[in-house]
Amino acid sequence: MRVLESWVSGPLSRFLDESAARLVLLMTSSGQVVAQHGFTRSVDVMSAAALGAGIMASTGELAHLMGSPRFGALVHQGTEQGLMLSGFETPRGRWIGLVAFGPESSVGIVQLFFQQFTDEIAAAAPPEEPRGPVLAENFEHELNASLRALFGR
Amino acid sequence: MSGADHALRRVSAVRGVRGAMLVSAPDGLVISESSMEDVDGRAIAALAASLAGRLRRAAASAGLGRPTVIQLRGETGTLLAVPAGDELLVVAVGDRETNLGLARLELLEAARGIA
Amino acid sequence: MSLVNFTAREITCKIVYYGPGRSGKTTNLQYVFGRVPETRRGRMVSLATHGDRTLFFDFLPIELGSISGFTTRFQLYTVPGQSYYNATRKLVLQGADGVVFVADSQARRFDDNIESLQNLQENLLEQGVDVRQMPIVFQYNKQDLPRDLVLAREDLDDALNFRGVESFPADALHGSGVFETLKGISELVLRKLAVGGPAA
Repeated sequence: MRVLESWVSGPLSRFLDESAARLVLLMTSSGQVVAQHGFTRSVDVMSAAALGAGIMASTGELAHLMGSPRFGALVHQGTEQGLMLSGFETPRGRWIGLVAFGPESSVGIVQLFFQQFTDEIAAAAPPEEPRGPVLAENFEHELNASLRALFGR
Repeated sequence: MSGADHALRRVSAVRGVRGAMLVSAPDGLVISESSMEDVDGRAIAALAASLAGRLRRAAASAGLGRPTVIQLRGETGTLLAVPAGDELLVVAVGDRETNLGLARLELLEAARGIA
Repeated sequence: MSLVNFTAREITCKIVYYGPGRSGKTTNLQYVFGRVPETRRGRMVSLATHGDRTLFFDFLPIELGSISGFTTRFQLYTVPGQSYYNATRKLVLQGADGVVFVADSQARRFDDNIESLQNLQENLLEQGVDVRQMPIVFQYNKQDLPRDLVLAREDLDDALNFRGVESFPADALHGSGVFETLKGISELVLRKLAVGGPAA
């Protein structure tokens, strides 16, 4: 399990224990990864987050166009594995959860404990601290070296 | 009213039964429910389906065949679940005063009618 | 908005390649994908139609390396250029940290560039973002075409680059200007995160 901020760990651990989910990915509505469990490559996590956020954004707009309230959750039930995608409000803005589960769990179990998880997250979120400067002032040198290495120049 | 709704109402009518529902066994989702008073049907459906799945594996390991009735007695009441085929589960929740014998009969009858 | 993980010392920024249809946004990402070692990039996700036009977005995550002690990742997105895809363009633009505006240098596409830039401003404004606060660079693509078909960088700067930000002539198909453009936007986006740096 990897989390961006430590207060997410407790609720996420409990959700994993109770739901027996295989993979969990939490992201912001613009597709930035907040926490994940079960993925091996960080770049795959980002692709999954981009696609998950894209699906939620487009179904949200679709619901809006059709005059419906926003979808609570989307579930894709495969033969080996099911996927649930669900948006929820947090004090840090709207987040999206992507959960993959196998036959050892079920849609009902995942949805039940995901609801508890989102309640816990909403209660646990500390107020966001204003962000100060992050990078050193003279970061350009390292950026140039990184980009040169990346492009083999 | 569908056959399932009618069967669930018969289960709910048994003395002490607080509610009955038809649950999708692989998903743990409520398909239909009858008078679920003061109980979280969604949670019971998810957990009862999970319990039934595990008990099915336990029963098979012990050479007992498939479970036909699952009865869980708590301090203040009882949960009964009867599989209806592979995909469905009929579930009832009752208090301490529940006529369990009759409730089981009605559940079995409901499961036969639905499966 | 960029995410900063102080515990793991990681930064993730979202860069969106914007511009009119067929200006070469996807080509930019394809070139980056082809040049960057596999260990430093993810799969390129393309949600395209059968005609290879971008339907929703292309997505490519890359790892820049360590900058000021932070492992720095960029998520590169493209938007569909055709005007009727505005709903999906707005969705992709959400939470962008920087924009690369890929203009088509061909004289006959002049109006399309203007229209797309206006559309970018409108869509940002709708999300409460002032385009003047958004890190942006311009790329004038297809400069390899015969001189009589394309506009010069100065003419394109006059028409599009009213903020006087960095602009890069490019031939994205063969990679010319792609690296420089990415470097330009990277600096602007990261400068926002740097000590005492101006907003953009």
